Amino acid sequence: MRETRLWSLHILVIPIIAVLLGAHFALMHYAPVFYGVSVEEARNFETMIERGKSVAQLVLYILLLAAGLYHGLYGMRGILRELPLTPALAKLVDWGILLFGLFIFALGTYVTWWTFSFKAGG
Amino acid sequence: MSDKTTTPREITFRLRRFNPETDSVPHWDSYALNVPDGMTVLEALHQLKAEQEPTLAWRSSCRMGVCGSCGMFINDLPMLACQTQVLHLGTDVVSVAPLPNYENVKDLVPNLEPLIEKHAAIKPFIIHTNSKEIDEPTGEFLQTAEERESISQFTHCIKCGLCLAACPTVATDPLFLGPQALAQAYRYTADNRDCGLHDRLEAIDIFHGPYQCHLAGACSQACPKGVDPAFAIQLLKRTLVLDSIGFGKKKSSLAKVMPLADVVKAIEEFAPPKRTV
Repeated sequence: MRETRLWSLHILVIPIIAVLLGAHFALMHYAPVFYGVSVEEARNFETMIERGKSVAQLVLYILLLAAGLYHGLYGMRGILRELPLTPALAKLVDWGILLFGLFIFALGTYVTWWTFSFKAGG
Repeated sequence: MSDKTTTPREITFRLRRFNPETDSVPHWDSYALNVPDGMTVLEALHQLKAEQEPTLAWRSSCRMGVCGSCGMFINDLPMLACQTQVLHLGTDVVSVAPLPNYENVKDLVPNLEPLIEKHAAIKPFIIHTNSKEIDEPTGEFLQTAEERESISQFTHCIKCGLCLAACPTVATDPLFLGPQALAQAYRYTADNRDCGLHDRLEAIDIFHGPYQCHLAGACSQACPKGVDPAFAIQLLKRTLVLDSIGFGKKKSSLAKVMPLADVVKAIEEFAPPKRTV
Protein backbone atom coordinates (compact mmCIF):
# COMPACT_ATOMS: atom_id res chain seq x y z
CA MET A 1 0.00 0.00 0.00
CA ARG A 2 1.19 3.52 -0.74
CA GLU A 3 2.82 5.10 2.30
CA THR A 4 0.83 8.26 1.57
CA ARG A 5 -2.45 6.45 2.31
CA LEU A 6 -1.10 4.97 5.56
CA TRP A 7 0.25 8.36 6.64
CA SER A 8 -2.92 10.24 5.63
CA LEU A 9 -5.05 7.81 7.63
CA HIS A 10 -2.78 8.29 10.64
CA ILE A 11 -3.37 12.06 10.40
CA LEU A 12 -7.08 11.65 9.63
CA VAL A 13 -7.77 9.65 12.81
CA ILE A 14 -6.41 12.45 15.04
CA PRO A 15 -9.68 14.47 15.10
CA ILE A 16 -11.64 11.23 15.46
CA ILE A 17 -9.55 10.29 18.51
CA ALA A 18 -9.94 13.80 19.94
CA VAL A 19 -13.76 13.63 19.74
CA LEU A 20 -14.11 10.02 20.91
CA LEU A 21 -11.55 10.42 23.68
CA GLY A 22 -13.47 13.52 24.78
CA ALA A 23 -16.63 11.40 24.98
CA HIS A 24 -14.74 8.71 26.92
CA PHE A 25 -13.43 11.29 29.38
CA ALA A 26 -16.92 12.74 29.82
CA LEU A 27 -18.32 9.25 30.52
CA MET A 28 -15.61 7.93 32.78
CA HIS A 29 -13.65 10.75 34.37
CA TYR A 30 -16.00 13.73 34.35
CA ALA A 31 -19.16 11.82 35.28
CA PRO A 32 -19.78 14.13 38.28
CA VAL A 33 -19.83 17.12 35.92
CA PHE A 34 -21.84 15.64 33.05
CA TYR A 35 -24.04 13.04 34.76
CA GLY A 36 -24.14 14.08 38.37
CA VAL A 37 -22.73 10.78 39.63
CA SER A 38 -19.46 10.25 41.49
CA VAL A 39 -16.40 8.91 39.65
CA GLU A 40 -16.49 5.77 41.80
CA GLU A 41 -20.11 5.21 40.89
CA ALA A 42 -19.40 5.78 37.19
CA ARG A 43 -16.66 3.15 37.29
CA ASN A 44 -18.29 0.39 39.31
CA PHE A 45 -19.10 -2.91 37.60
CA GLU A 46 -22.89 -2.56 37.55
CA THR A 47 -22.80 0.95 36.05
CA MET A 48 -20.30 -0.09 33.41
CA ILE A 49 -22.32 -3.14 32.43
CA GLU A 50 -25.46 -1.02 32.31
CA ARG A 51 -23.78 1.64 30.20
CA GLY A 52 -22.12 -0.96 27.99
CA LYS A 53 -25.49 -2.12 26.79
CA SER A 54 -26.06 1.02 24.77
CA VAL A 55 -25.37 0.86 21.03
CA ALA A 56 -23.79 4.34 21.18
CA GLN A 57 -21.24 3.12 23.72
CA LEU A 58 -20.53 0.01 21.66
CA VAL A 59 -19.87 2.09 18.54
CA LEU A 60 -17.88 4.73 20.46
CA TYR A 61 -15.48 2.25 22.02
CA ILE A 62 -14.94 0.12 18.93
CA LEU A 63 -14.22 3.24 16.89
CA LEU A 64 -11.95 4.68 19.59
CA LEU A 65 -10.13 1.37 19.82
CA ALA A 66 -9.60 1.19 16.06
CA ALA A 67 -8.52 4.84 15.74
CA GLY A 68 -6.26 4.77 18.81
CA LEU A 69 -4.65 1.49 17.84
CA TYR A 70 -4.01 2.62 14.26
CA HIS A 71 -2.53 5.96 15.30
CA GLY A 72 -0.40 4.52 18.09
CA LEU A 73 0.87 1.51 16.19
CA TYR A 74 1.65 3.56 13.06
CA GLY A 75 3.82 5.76 15.31
CA MET A 76 5.40 2.68 16.89
CA ARG A 77 6.16 1.31 13.43
CA GLY A 78 7.80 4.63 12.55
CA ILE A 79 10.09 4.42 15.58
CA LEU A 80 11.02 0.78 14.94
CA ARG A 81 11.53 1.20 11.21
CA GLU A 82 14.01 4.03 11.84
CA LEU A 83 16.34 1.49 13.37
CA PRO A 84 18.96 0.11 10.99
CA LEU A 85 16.96 -2.96 9.92
CA THR A 86 17.52 -5.38 7.10
CA PRO A 87 14.65 -5.50 4.56
CA ALA A 88 13.54 -8.83 6.04
CA LEU A 89 13.45 -7.39 9.57
CA ALA A 90 11.62 -4.31 8.31
CA LYS A 91 8.98 -6.58 6.78
CA LEU A 92 8.79 -8.50 10.06
CA VAL A 93 8.17 -5.24 11.94
CA ASP A 94 5.38 -4.28 9.49
CA TRP A 95 3.65 -7.66 9.76
CA GLY A 96 4.29 -7.97 13.49
CA ILE A 97 2.70 -4.57 14.16
CA LEU A 98 -0.25 -5.39 11.87
CA LEU A 99 -0.93 -8.74 13.54
CA PHE A 100 -0.48 -7.30 17.03
CA GLY A 101 -2.92 -4.49 16.16
CA LEU A 102 -5.47 -6.93 14.77
CA PHE A 103 -5.14 -9.14 17.86
CA ILE A 104 -5.64 -6.23 20.29
CA PHE A 105 -8.54 -4.94 18.19
CA ALA A 106 -10.19 -8.37 18.22
CA LEU A 107 -9.68 -8.65 21.98
CA GLY A 108 -11.04 -5.14 22.65
CA THR A 109 -13.98 -5.70 20.35
CA TYR A 110 -14.74 -9.00 22.08
CA VAL A 111 -14.77 -7.31 25.52
CA THR A 112 -16.95 -4.46 24.28
CA TRP A 113 -19.34 -6.91 22.63
CA TRP A 114 -19.34 -9.11 25.73
CA THR A 115 -20.36 -6.07 27.81
CA PHE A 116 -22.99 -5.12 25.25
CA SER A 117 -24.56 -8.57 25.27
CA PHE A 118 -24.09 -9.30 29.01
CA LYS A 119 -27.11 -10.82 30.73
CA ALA A 120 -27.12 -10.84 34.53
CA GLY A 121 -27.14 -14.40 35.84
CA GLY A 122 -26.81 -15.72 32.30
CA MET B 1 41.67 57.61 0.82
CA SER B 2 41.41 55.01 3.55
CA ASP B 3 43.10 51.64 3.27
CA LYS B 4 40.48 48.99 3.88
CA THR B 5 42.84 46.01 3.91
CA THR B 6 43.49 44.54 7.34
CA THR B 7 46.66 42.85 8.49
CA PRO B 8 46.60 39.06 8.20
CA ARG B 9 45.53 37.21 11.36
CA GLU B 10 47.05 33.96 12.51
CA ILE B 11 44.40 31.26 12.47
CA THR B 12 44.85 27.71 13.70
CA PHE B 13 43.30 25.17 11.38
CA ARG B 14 42.25 21.90 13.03
CA LEU B 15 41.91 19.46 10.16
CA ARG B 16 40.46 16.00 10.53
CA ARG B 17 42.84 13.58 8.89
CA PHE B 18 42.18 10.06 7.79
CA ASN B 19 44.14 7.80 5.51
CA PRO B 20 42.36 4.46 5.06
CA GLU B 21 45.67 2.82 4.16
CA THR B 22 47.41 3.71 7.44
CA ASP B 23 44.74 4.86 9.94
CA SER B 24 42.08 2.82 11.63
CA VAL B 25 40.34 5.91 13.03
CA PRO B 26 40.49 9.59 12.03
CA HIS B 27 42.58 12.05 14.04
CA TRP B 28 42.98 15.83 14.21
CA ASP B 29 46.07 17.79 13.14
CA SER B 30 46.60 21.52 13.71
CA TYR B 31 48.28 24.00 11.35
CA ALA B 32 48.83 27.74 11.78
CA LEU B 33 48.33 30.09 8.84
CA ASN B 34 48.33 33.85 8.39
CA VAL B 35 44.97 34.60 6.87
CA PRO B 36 44.36 37.87 5.03
CA ASP B 37 40.93 39.43 4.71
CA GLY B 38 38.88 37.74 1.99
CA MET B 39 40.69 34.39 2.04
CA THR B 40 38.27 31.48 1.79
CA VAL B 41 38.63 28.18 3.62
CA LEU B 42 39.34 26.55 0.25
CA GLU B 43 42.16 29.02 -0.48
CA ALA B 44 43.53 28.40 3.00
CA LEU B 45 43.53 24.64 2.36
CA HIS B 46 45.38 25.19 -0.93
CA GLN B 47 47.99 27.29 0.87
CA LEU B 48 48.36 24.74 3.68
CA LYS B 49 48.81 21.97 1.12
CA ALA B 50 51.40 23.98 -0.82
CA GLU B 51 53.40 25.10 2.23
CA GLN B 52 52.85 22.65 5.09
CA GLU B 53 50.96 19.43 4.34
CA PRO B 54 51.27 18.14 0.76
CA THR B 55 49.34 14.93 1.53
CA LEU B 56 46.16 16.73 2.55
CA ALA B 57 43.18 15.54 0.45
CA TRP B 58 39.86 17.20 -0.33
CA ARG B 59 37.56 17.58 -3.31
CA SER B 60 36.96 20.88 -5.08
CA SER B 61 36.59 22.25 -8.57
CA CYS B 62 35.01 25.55 -9.61
CA ARG B 63 35.95 27.75 -6.61
CA MET B 64 32.80 29.82 -7.09
CA GLY B 65 29.93 27.94 -5.43
CA VAL B 66 28.63 26.39 -8.62
CA CYS B 67 29.93 22.83 -8.78
CA GLY B 68 29.12 21.81 -5.20
CA SER B 69 32.28 19.76 -4.76
CA CYS B 70 33.86 21.39 -1.72
CA GLY B 71 31.23 20.74 0.92
CA MET B 72 32.92 20.43 4.32
CA PHE B 73 32.04 20.52 8.01
CA ILE B 74 33.53 23.88 8.97
CA ASN B 75 33.30 24.84 12.65
CA ASP B 76 30.70 22.07 13.01
CA LEU B 77 28.43 23.36 10.25
CA PRO B 78 28.13 22.06 6.68
CA MET B 79 29.37 24.75 4.29
CA LEU B 80 31.03 25.18 0.91
CA ALA B 81 34.73 25.84 1.54
CA CYS B 82 34.91 28.11 -1.52
CA GLN B 83 32.11 30.37 -0.24
CA THR B 84 33.24 30.61 3.36
CA GLN B 85 35.68 33.35 4.28
CA VAL B 86 37.92 32.34 7.16
CA LEU B 87 37.82 35.66 9.01
CA HIS B 88 34.02 35.82 8.71
CA LEU B 89 33.85 32.72 10.90
CA GLY B 90 35.07 34.93 13.77
CA THR B 91 37.11 32.26 15.54
CA ASP B 92 40.87 31.92 16.03
CA VAL B 93 40.61 28.17 15.64
CA VAL B 94 38.83 26.84 12.57
CA SER B 95 37.95 23.16 12.49
CA VAL B 96 37.47 21.47 9.14
CA ALA B 97 36.14 17.92 8.85
CA PRO B 98 34.54 15.89 6.08
CA LEU B 99 30.75 16.14 5.76
CA PRO B 100 28.97 14.00 8.35
CA ASN B 101 26.35 11.39 7.35
CA TYR B 102 28.68 10.17 4.58
CA GLU B 103 31.42 7.59 4.58
CA ASN B 104 34.87 9.20 4.85
CA VAL B 105 37.06 8.33 1.85
CA LYS B 106 40.18 10.25 2.91
CA ASP B 107 40.90 13.38 4.98
CA LEU B 108 38.17 15.85 3.96
CA VAL B 109 36.72 13.76 1.14
CA PRO B 110 33.24 12.30 1.74
CA ASN B 111 31.77 9.51 -0.36
CA LEU B 112 28.82 11.23 -2.08
CA GLU B 113 27.55 8.04 -3.75
CA PRO B 114 24.42 7.76 -1.55
CA LEU B 115 23.48 11.33 -2.56
CA ILE B 116 23.83 10.52 -6.25
CA GLU B 117 22.02 7.18 -5.93
CA LYS B 118 19.07 8.76 -4.11
CA HIS B 119 18.99 11.60 -6.63
CA ALA B 120 18.98 9.18 -9.56
CA ALA B 121 16.27 7.02 -7.93
CA ILE B 122 13.65 9.79 -8.11
CA LYS B 123 14.08 10.07 -11.93
CA PRO B 124 15.29 13.67 -12.02
CA PHE B 125 14.18 14.52 -15.54
CA ILE B 126 11.02 15.62 -17.33
CA ILE B 127 8.69 12.71 -18.01
CA HIS B 128 6.04 13.57 -20.59
CA THR B 129 3.27 11.42 -22.05
CA ASN B 130 3.98 12.81 -25.51
CA SER B 131 7.00 10.57 -26.14
CA LYS B 132 6.84 11.26 -29.89
CA GLU B 133 7.38 14.95 -29.23
CA ILE B 134 10.22 14.12 -26.83
CA ASP B 135 11.96 11.91 -29.44
CA GLU B 136 11.24 14.08 -32.48
CA PRO B 137 10.55 17.60 -31.20
CA THR B 138 8.52 19.93 -33.43
CA GLY B 139 8.64 22.81 -30.97
CA GLU B 140 9.00 23.56 -27.29
CA PHE B 141 6.80 22.72 -24.33
CA LEU B 142 5.27 26.00 -23.25
CA GLN B 143 5.97 27.17 -19.71
CA THR B 144 4.78 30.55 -18.51
CA ALA B 145 6.88 32.79 -16.28
CA GLU B 146 4.52 32.04 -13.35
CA GLU B 147 4.80 28.29 -13.88
CA ARG B 148 8.56 28.59 -13.96
CA GLU B 149 8.61 30.83 -10.89
CA SER B 150 6.66 28.25 -8.86
CA ILE B 151 9.56 25.78 -9.07
CA SER B 152 12.40 28.23 -9.64
CA GLN B 153 14.19 28.00 -6.27
CA PHE B 154 14.22 24.19 -6.38
CA THR B 155 16.04 24.24 -9.72
CA HIS B 156 19.02 25.92 -8.07
CA CYS B 157 20.20 22.72 -6.35
CA ILE B 158 23.88 22.03 -7.13
CA LYS B 159 23.96 18.55 -5.53
CA CYS B 160 26.61 19.54 -3.01
CA GLY B 161 25.04 17.29 -0.38
CA LEU B 162 25.22 19.81 2.48
CA CYS B 163 21.53 19.27 3.20
CA LEU B 164 22.04 15.55 3.79
CA ALA B 165 24.99 16.31 6.05
CA ALA B 166 22.81 18.68 8.09
CA CYS B 167 19.76 16.39 8.23
CA PRO B 168 19.22 14.74 11.65
CA THR B 169 16.95 12.13 10.06
CA VAL B 170 19.65 10.99 7.63
CA ALA B 171 21.95 10.68 10.66
CA THR B 172 19.64 8.11 12.25
CA ASP B 173 18.06 6.61 9.14
CA PRO B 174 20.56 6.24 6.29
CA LEU B 175 17.82 4.89 4.02
CA PHE B 176 15.85 8.16 4.25
CA LEU B 177 15.79 9.65 0.76
CA GLY B 178 16.83 12.97 2.22
CA PRO B 179 16.10 16.60 1.46
CA GLN B 180 18.02 16.78 -1.81
CA ALA B 181 16.26 13.92 -3.61
CA LEU B 182 12.84 14.78 -2.20
CA ALA B 183 13.17 18.46 -3.16
CA GLN B 184 14.16 17.38 -6.67
CA ALA B 185 11.24 14.95 -6.78
CA TYR B 186 8.98 17.92 -6.08
CA ARG B 187 10.84 20.13 -8.55
CA TYR B 188 10.16 17.72 -11.43
CA THR B 189 6.70 16.63 -10.31
CA ALA B 190 5.51 20.23 -10.00
CA ASP B 191 6.92 21.18 -13.40
CA ASN B 192 4.01 21.76 -15.79
CA ARG B 193 5.90 19.87 -18.52
CA ASP B 194 6.10 16.76 -16.37
CA CYS B 195 3.58 14.01 -15.70
CA GLY B 196 5.92 11.49 -14.15
CA LEU B 197 4.64 11.39 -10.57
CA HIS B 198 3.39 7.82 -10.98
CA ASP B 199 6.75 6.76 -12.42
CA ARG B 200 8.40 8.16 -9.29
CA LEU B 201 6.00 6.68 -6.73
CA GLU B 202 8.01 3.49 -6.32
CA ALA B 203 10.99 5.58 -5.21
CA ILE B 204 9.29 8.33 -3.18
CA ASP B 205 6.01 6.97 -1.79
CA ILE B 206 7.78 4.68 0.65
CA PHE B 207 8.43 4.57 4.39
CA HIS B 208 11.84 6.23 3.95
CA GLY B 209 10.26 8.98 1.81
CA PRO B 210 8.85 12.41 2.67
CA TYR B 211 6.94 11.27 5.77
CA GLN B 212 10.20 10.49 7.57
CA CYS B 213 11.09 14.20 7.54
CA HIS B 214 11.10 15.43 11.17
CA LEU B 215 10.78 19.07 10.08
CA ALA B 216 14.07 20.13 11.68
CA GLY B 217 14.67 22.52 8.78
CA ALA B 218 18.46 22.11 9.06
CA CYS B 219 18.62 21.35 5.31
CA SER B 220 17.16 24.72 4.40
CA GLN B 221 19.58 26.48 6.71
CA ALA B 222 22.57 24.64 5.27
CA CYS B 223 21.75 25.11 1.56
CA PRO B 224 24.34 27.46 0.02
CA LYS B 225 22.04 28.25 -2.93
CA GLY B 226 19.01 29.40 -0.93
CA VAL B 227 16.89 26.36 -1.75
CA ASP B 228 14.32 25.44 0.90
CA PRO B 229 14.19 21.63 0.74
CA ALA B 230 12.14 21.39 3.95
CA PHE B 231 9.41 23.41 2.21
CA ALA B 232 9.68 21.27 -0.92
CA ILE B 233 9.13 18.14 1.19
CA GLN B 234 5.91 19.62 2.59
CA LEU B 235 4.77 20.54 -0.93
CA LEU B 236 5.63 17.01 -2.08
CA LYS B 237 3.51 15.56 0.74
CA ARG B 238 0.59 17.71 -0.41
CA THR B 239 1.09 16.59 -4.00
CA LEU B 240 1.16 12.92 -2.96
CA VAL B 241 -1.89 13.18 -0.70
CA LEU B 242 -3.93 14.98 -3.39
CA ASP B 243 -2.87 12.38 -5.96
CA SER B 244 -3.77 9.50 -3.63
CA ILE B 245 -7.35 10.78 -3.34
CA GLY B 246 -7.71 11.43 -7.06
CA PHE B 247 -6.91 15.16 -7.19
CA GLY B 248 -3.55 14.82 -8.91
CA LYS B 249 -2.23 16.79 -11.85
CA LYS B 250 -4.75 16.88 -14.69
CA LYS B 251 -3.60 16.04 -18.18
CA SER B 252 -5.25 19.24 -19.41
CA SER B 253 -2.84 21.29 -17.27
CA LEU B 254 0.18 19.77 -19.02
CA ALA B 255 2.38 22.03 -21.10
CA LYS B 256 1.30 22.40 -24.73
CA VAL B 257 3.80 22.22 -27.55
CA MET B 258 4.61 25.59 -29.07
CA PRO B 259 5.61 25.16 -32.74
CA LEU B 260 9.19 26.09 -33.53
CA ALA B 261 8.14 28.96 -35.85
CA ASP B 262 6.19 30.54 -32.96
CA VAL B 263 9.13 30.05 -30.61
CA VAL B 264 11.41 31.92 -33.06
CA LYS B 265 8.79 34.66 -33.44
CA ALA B 266 8.48 35.03 -29.66
CA ILE B 267 12.26 35.25 -29.29
CA GLU B 268 12.44 37.92 -31.99
CA GLU B 269 9.70 39.88 -30.24
CA PHE B 270 11.68 39.99 -27.00
CA ALA B 271 15.09 40.41 -28.62
CA PRO B 272 16.82 43.78 -28.24
CA PRO B 273 16.64 46.04 -31.32
CA LYS B 274 19.35 45.37 -33.91
CA ARG B 275 22.30 47.70 -33.82
CA THR B 276 22.44 50.09 -36.72
CA VAL B 277 26.02 51.25 -36.19
